[in-house]
Amino acid sequence: MTKRLVQGNEAVMLGAVKAGAGYFCGYPISPSSEILAQASQYAAKHPEFRFLQAEDEIASANAILGASLAGAKSFTATSGPGFSLMQEAVGYAHKIGIPAVIVNVQRVGPGTGMPTMPGQGDLLQTRYGSSGDYTSFVFYPSTVAECYRYSIEAFNAAEDSRSPVILLSDAYLGHLNEVVDLDEIEVPVVPRTIAPLATGGTRLFSGVATYPDGEPATADSDEFIRQYIENRDDRRKVAEKYAFHEYGWNKEADTLVIAFGITRRIAQPLAPYFALFRPIRIWPTLDKELGEIAPKYKKIIVIEGSDGQYANVIERMLLRHVERVPLLGGRMSLEAVREGLELIGELPKELAAAGATAKVG
Amino acid sequence: MAVKDKLKTDLFPTIWCPGCGIGLIMQQLASVMEDLGLDKTNTVLVTGIGCTGRMGAYMNFESVYTLHGRTLPVAEAIKTVRPELNVIVVSGDGDTSSIGGNHLLHSIRRNPNVTVICNNNEIYGLTGGQTGPTTPKGTTTLSSPAGSTASPINLQGLVNTNPESYYAKTTVYHQGPMRKAIKEAIEWPGFAFVDVASQCIENNGRRIGFGSAFEMLESYKADYKPAPKGATRLEGKQIGIIKNAAVPVAVPVPVPAGSNQVDGDGK
Repeated sequence: MTKRLVQGNEAVMLGAVKAGAGYFCGYPISPSSEILAQASQYAAKHPEFRFLQAEDEIASANAILGASLAGAKSFTATSGPGFSLMQEAVGYAHKIGIPAVIVNVQRVGPGTGMPTMPGQGDLLQTRYGSSGDYTSFVFYPSTVAECYRYSIEAFNAAEDSRSPVILLSDAYLGHLNEVVDLDEIEVPVVPRTIAPLATGGTRLFSGVATYPDGEPATADSDEFIRQYIENRDDRRKVAEKYAFHEYGWNKEADTLVIAFGITRRIAQPLAPYFALFRPIRIWPTLDKELGEIAPKYKKIIVIEGSDGQYANVIERMLLRHVERVPLLGGRMSLEAVREGLELIGELPKELAAAGATAKVG
Repeated sequence: MAVKDKLKTDLFPTIWCPGCGIGLIMQQLASVMEDLGLDKTNTVLVTGIGCTGRMGAYMNFESVYTLHGRTLPVAEAIKTVRPELNVIVVSGDGDTSSIGGNHLLHSIRRNPNVTVICNNNEIYGLTGGQTGPTTPKGTTTLSSPAGSTASPINLQGLVNTNPESYYAKTTVYHQGPMRKAIKEAIEWPGFAFVDVASQCIENNGRRIGFGSAFEMLESYKADYKPAPKGATRLEGKQIGIIKNAAVPVAVPVPVPAGSNQVDGDGK
């Protein structure tokens, strides 16, 4: 292939195919619907790729788990409200250890909210949306090329961790068209890590706490803790392989800006004035990586499309005060960033000048 | 192979209450599986939450014990990815038609080649005996002390909205008809639903005046009668089978390509 215009949502779909996905199930919801449509078109030409438009997101989430157990790498795509409906299935998949990928192209919530406007308000939902304790893997790309790359990596991490991995995007990134040559992006693909159904065993895939032989362990705290710790430690180990992040811009500056997803692109004109830390792996948090560089900076500012969801996480992780620039109501723009910085007294003089607009890179 | 090899007898006794009807269904299912040559290499069980859902744990097959109400999306996906497998859903009436009602509606419409065996005890048994979607109007339950106020769901009517479906009504008393229905349903080349009236003595029967599980079985014997030959619809308490046109199941055809945006084989 050569360079061509590719949309963020399309890049996610192409990454899934590259990763070896064999099953998609979804329900139409803005701003993710292009993935559903393109999965259906791909299936029409490739019968080995199975597609279902389900009756709702609850069905979608459960269907991809059934498909994964049956032997296919599987995924769905949705947005905030649909992702909320999937949460029970997310917990179920974590309990059993089923690899799958859920793409969440974020819009502005809560409720039906602003269906076509970009938001980043699902970060905590990707971590704590289901009940109980579990270790989530969540990646959030910033460019169309990265949508492709981290779509593949999401499938890889799903296999390595045997869990449902969330690939975050947003209305802005999902609908962004950029000129890319996806052939130039090489990502090794992790093969399947669980044996498909009906290949000789008599396994019981149960969401209920069970002993290895399938008998209920619903009142055995010791057994529960043993399984939980084993699972958590295993996923922490897997996380070491997927510590995706970016550290750059003006590293000699006094202040560190933390931005991710499309917000990092919007914040690009701040490059001369601040250092940048961009978590690509949103969860598990990059404690080691950020912990090493944070002490070099007098101030830390988190710019994000929610009212401090990730800033609170960073503050607690580093045990120090963090400034906030929330971009709310879908107003994710350089103008909103400038206003937010001005409000906390951190707007560089050069950017305050009337008409000072740098190219968004 | 013998019928008992279909069961994980080392895990017996089961968790089901003495007098429960589920074991009678499991026994016939195991027996039919033996007849049809179903084993762990060609068959998968999908069960839902509720007493019935435990059946998967007691059978020598791979089984997916799904979330409450989600048997059908899981079963359909398995069948789609692995069309060569027999996919059998075993679940209760509440799981299948209340919390899973939307999936039931749309599975019927999509007509996947899966078999549903519904243990219909007209109650939420595992949680203590609350009104379910199949509870007859006026029944006293834990959550309807003055009698349930809604009409029970019409499973036959729902299933028959699909012109290629198979619907059977039977009871755990009527072992012969139940066996025939389970066998035919597994062989049916599309969506097949076996609705089995089954007693829950502990969390339903005693509350509505039965002294024992045996009395409940006797009531099935007295109340349920075979439908007349050639019936196209089962009326009241009739047992029988309604087969709609048995046409070969078409392989699901995805939406035709409307644009070439995903062309290039995703390389």
